[in-house]
Amino acid sequence: MTAWHEVADLAGAALLLLGALVCLTGVIGLLRLPDVLARSSAATNPQTLGILLITAGVALRLRSWADLGTLALVVFFHLLTNPVAAHLVARVAYRTGQTGDCALLFDELAGSEPDRRN
Amino acid sequence: MTALDNILLDAALAVILLAGALLLIRIRRGPSMLDRAVGVDVAAALMVAGIGVQAASTRTRYYLSIMLVIAFLGFTSSVGIARFIAVRDRPTPRPVPRPVPPKEGP
Repeated sequence: MTAWHEVADLAGAALLLLGALVCLTGVIGLLRLPDVLARSSAATNPQTLGILLITAGVALRLRSWADLGTLALVVFFHLLTNPVAAHLVARVAYRTGQTGDCALLFDELAGSEPDRRN
Repeated sequence: MTALDNILLDAALAVILLAGALLLIRIRRGPSMLDRAVGVDVAAALMVAGIGVQAASTRTRYYLSIMLVIAFLGFTSSVGIARFIAVRDRPTPRPVPRPVPPKEGP
């Protein structure tokens, strides 16, 4: 029984460190990428995979059903709100012309978007 | 609580603090408001991560409600910037989109 607890503690700590490293890679991408859209795609890295790993680590170290429900709600709200924010930021970046046209392979919104600049 | 657990948790906290410092550099020199909006969004995620590490190292469950509130409300700042502030902050006018030439058959 205590051996299982120690293994769960160690695995939880390792998952926390792994999630922190994933967050660090996302922030490094945020520093080095050139564009708003590319930075937005790098910013979803710490927000989904890092938060998933960190909540799994916390759940392995706390080990109670009520805390597991709260952590599931944390993951649920992250997965619900991140696409909304990323979508709005990318849409405004396209409309205000900060997308960097030379890097786009296809521009499917080219003629369909009403021009609201004025 | 072994020593290896403490080392791993301290390393995780140090990595999150380093990520926050690098993120502050991006927020400081982001060329437009949208970069800062993305940075603030990531800052909310890093806050959730740091509070999670703290809750795991002290085995306290009262931090989890704070994590829940930040996960639920952390995106409102970037949505507000994207909807209302970035519209006034237009750096360069967008060039007229050139028509895509039809693809030639072989």
